[in-house]
Amino acid sequence: MAVLEVKNIHKSFGRTEVLKGIDFTLEAGQVLTIIGSSGSGKTTLLRCLNSLEFADKGQIVVGGDMIFDAESNKRLSESELRQNRLHFGLVFQNFNLFPQYSVLENVTLAPRLLNKGTKEEIEKNALELIDSVGLLDKKDNYPCELSGGQQQRVAIARALAMNPKILCFDEPTSALDPELTGEVLKVIRSLAEKHMTMIIVTHEMTFAHDVSDKIIFMDNGVIAEEGSPAILENPESERLQAFLTSF
Amino acid sequence: MNGFFEQFPIVFQSLNIGFIQTLKLFAVTLLGAIPLGLVISFGSMSKFKPLSAVVRVLVWIIRGTPLMLQLLIIFYFPGLVFGKQLWGGGESGRFIASAVAFILNYACYFSEIYRGGIQGIPHGQQEAGQVLGLSKRQIFFKITLLQMIKRIVPPMSNEIITLVKDTSLARIIALQEVIWAGQAFMKGSQGISGAIWPLFFTGVYYLAFSGILTLLFGWVEKKLSYFKA
Repeated sequence: MAVLEVKNIHKSFGRTEVLKGIDFTLEAGQVLTIIGSSGSGKTTLLRCLNSLEFADKGQIVVGGDMIFDAESNKRLSESELRQNRLHFGLVFQNFNLFPQYSVLENVTLAPRLLNKGTKEEIEKNALELIDSVGLLDKKDNYPCELSGGQQQRVAIARALAMNPKILCFDEPTSALDPELTGEVLKVIRSLAEKHMTMIIVTHEMTFAHDVSDKIIFMDNGVIAEEGSPAILENPESERLQAFLTSF
Repeated sequence: MNGFFEQFPIVFQSLNIGFIQTLKLFAVTLLGAIPLGLVISFGSMSKFKPLSAVVRVLVWIIRGTPLMLQLLIIFYFPGLVFGKQLWGGGESGRFIASAVAFILNYACYFSEIYRGGIQGIPHGQQEAGQVLGLSKRQIFFKITLLQMIKRIVPPMSNEIITLVKDTSLARIIALQEVIWAGQAFMKGSQGISGAIWPLFFTGVYYLAFSGILTLLFGWVEKKLSYFKA
């Protein structure tokens, strides 16, 4: 059964229609990569999934439960909204670590505040996650003492600490120097090997080709082409051909 | 009593009493204005337009007129217009009226500092809290607040040191603070008259106290320098 079903998502900002009917499904353990040029609506789609924006039309179904339905008149309460957000994790382009907290505190903050176990359990789990992103020796450092790549790896550990069903990445390497992107991609790759369900928005085409089960090419608010990573080698649509030659 | 050494103990004691009144007004103003400023800043940032408009007009009026004028109006207005001494008589009445004027005035200045501090925090901080499932309250107290405090310490220390000296404005409604106490020896008090040095000496109190505050705020800034926000 699909862990995520996205049905007919529309979203406008003022008079600009950013998403013009997006449909896709995602199976558990799969990696979906969304590619497309800037302004094609990729980030807005991720933000709708994470309830940071609300679609004007359409439905989002997670694990068989309708978590969002634009047609329903019922407004989501604050606590329902928070529940919905917990299905997803989001790793931001700019990391958005909490600067006043150490690496370990960044990872434990949300589980502690939401009572996701005893202090010891939460800390043990956090240390395992920090170790898995290769930063155990930095656990007591503050974000300002880390490189961009290290900060992004902490952000991944922080998102994983809430045990989301689906982890989303919004251009996770776009704010990094080229020599730092590799270490972040390596972490995402290792998550894919562990069959973490992920949605990745990225411009790293080689990475997308290697790590994805499914690729969606978005253009001007619609899905212009989708399929296996092979579409990157043999694109059908002219738009995707043109997009790929820009790399 | 013409000799300085004869005058000193009398003047010193009198100025100490005056300075205690100065410190009381300073402390009460901070206790009232720090939280009230937060309420006003939330009001001015409210998405409910009529509320934010009213609050912004209030802040404009308070910041746009002299504190001395506000003191005079708040002290005399209830008595002259309604014929009723709202604040009570004597020194305690003058203190209450001064405290009301100072709290209102400083809360408006603080609210603008808070607003700058809150709006200066990148929106991504709030979103990072949201996607982790935190409530608005948790996001404010556990994520935003300390970053805001770090940002506002330098402008707040500036305002608070100004407040130390502004308390002397309460002299206009004859609050018996340290300058009032020093001036008394010019006119004549406790057998001393025509003495100007006690007035100069009040400056020592202000210098010492603002010096202590400067050190204190420097220490707080240093304490918060472990992170960048």
